[in-house]
Amino acid sequence: MPLASSTTSIRADPRIGHRSLFAGLALLLLGLMYLSLALGYRLYSPEEIWTALTAFDGSETDVVIRDLRLPRALMAPMVGAALGIAGVIVQTLSRNRIASPDTLGLNAGAAFAVVMASGLFGVVSLPGLSLAAAVGALLTSFVVFGLAAAAGGISPLRIVLVGVTFAGLFDSFVNVVLTVNETMLDQLLFWLAGSFADRKLGLALNGLPFVVVGAALAASLARPLDILQTDDSTARGLGVPLGVVRGLAFLAVALLSGAAVAMAGPVMFVGLVVPHAARALVGLGHRLQIAAAAMVGALYTTLADIVARFVIYPREAPVGAVTAIVGGLLLLVLLRRRAA
Amino acid sequence: MDKAITVAALTVAYGAATALSAIDLEIPKGKVTVLAGPNGCGKSTLLRAIRRLHQPKSGEVRLGDLPISGLKEKELARHIGLLAQNPSAPDDMSVEELVRLGRYPHQSMLQPWSAADGEAIQAAMFGTGVSHLADRRLGSLSGGQLQRVWIAMVLAQETDIICLDEPVNHLDMAHQIDCLDLVRRLNQEHGRTVVLVLHDLNLAARYADRLVFLKDGSVVAEGAPAELMSEELIEDVFGISCRVITDPVHERPLCIPIRNSSPRFRADTAA
Repeated sequence: MPLASSTTSIRADPRIGHRSLFAGLALLLLGLMYLSLALGYRLYSPEEIWTALTAFDGSETDVVIRDLRLPRALMAPMVGAALGIAGVIVQTLSRNRIASPDTLGLNAGAAFAVVMASGLFGVVSLPGLSLAAAVGALLTSFVVFGLAAAAGGISPLRIVLVGVTFAGLFDSFVNVVLTVNETMLDQLLFWLAGSFADRKLGLALNGLPFVVVGAALAASLARPLDILQTDDSTARGLGVPLGVVRGLAFLAVALLSGAAVAMAGPVMFVGLVVPHAARALVGLGHRLQIAAAAMVGALYTTLADIVARFVIYPREAPVGAVTAIVGGLLLLVLLRRRAA
Repeated sequence: MDKAITVAALTVAYGAATALSAIDLEIPKGKVTVLAGPNGCGKSTLLRAIRRLHQPKSGEVRLGDLPISGLKEKELARHIGLLAQNPSAPDDMSVEELVRLGRYPHQSMLQPWSAADGEAIQAAMFGTGVSHLADRRLGSLSGGQLQRVWIAMVLAQETDIICLDEPVNHLDMAHQIDCLDLVRRLNQEHGRTVVLVLHDLNLAARYADRLVFLKDGSVVAEGAPAELMSEELIEDVFGISCRVITDPVHERPLCIPIRNSSPRFRADTAA
């Protein structure tokens, strides 16, 4: 934290400001998670929710709340937080404010792996697809990082170029396969659109350690990431080992995006938009930026998951479509503001 | 004369092309040393090799008596600060946020931010006259202000040695003088050893205690500007015929270029 100095700054001690900001975000998130339990095709009262969580008796209400609503109320914020943090890191790594885990081809790699698993091994169950997605995202991140790092130092531009290339390749392959194979399209469309619906609680629990480790790794890199915002010569002049930091940062992105795509499928635009909101709230320091991106990301996906239940009521829209529409509009606003 | 840095038989190559061949040089402590020479002579490469941004093919750079190849990244960054050529940072970063980055080599996971860090960034901003800009975004600054802020960042690093790679390239005349006066003051008032790469021979002569001429990856000559700035040597190094007079204000040698004398350029003009 900057030392509040009377000569250079008339701001109040920013620590107090940030503390209440994060407390406010946390309260908001708890509120949304509660709404995620209460709202949907059917509406539940606080008593019904409380009974279902504390004294489960197998009634239909209890089953819906515990087995359908609770997993998504827990999973949506985890996925949002993971994608928000991953977005911050990718944008810093690539020195590009419109990059995201999608730019690195991670979601496309996951989709590719899911299609392969489904086509070659007949995997159709959600846990199977999740595993395939996680493996696909991880392998893609290693391949992209490896190629970007090959032939001389890894540069921000190379990261984006290699990532975008792989995203395009994987996407085209997926499209070709799904066009030819309509049965597979029907089976996989629900996954490819990204959703929190019909996930079991176990999936959230499996994803949790990866999100926690990825977030901890990201937080531990906060200081060198601050410096990666400058050019390579300056960063090295300050004593940052670029290769090591970039490798670890990539690993954090792989863990976070891999866990997210395994839980929810490709949820687009979260990793792109959330970092902008985080910077607007707390500035460019990564310790706070990462924390804020986790909170804002969690809020964003949780809200999107609730909205997705109502936009084409009584049916449910894929949450990935909601985040993409809202995110796309937000991005246009951001770009407009930058151009102005 | 005390030496801050010794360059011994240093050879640096980019792939097959040799950028520096067997350079021997001593950088005196507490002085301003300026590396000068024509484009592509290796002056920036030498500066970057001194800061270990280039791995030598052979030879070594010593900090005092220690080879820098044995130092850890942060350790080296506590001894030598670098203002890179055309440094960049996000436009929406604040001045104070940038200056704070200079404290990185002094921090660790266990000791993230100390009172000494706060004092160092305040002193650095005060010393460069940018305290009043602390909350401004970098994108809103003028070129001259921005360069001062970058120097403040390097100052916050609190190194004995500061390397600046063509720091006045994009500045107008007033800001060039302003920036180099600032560097000079840091040297005189704080005793910091300064190594500068400068394009402009007259600025080099004006600010250098010690001037080093490079040509084709080798040191051609070194010494005090008054000894070094002869018409013959300048013609040999820069390929330009000139008159050298004494600047009546600063009593430093002043080069007045007459015409390009290198055979390559003459051929161009003839054709």
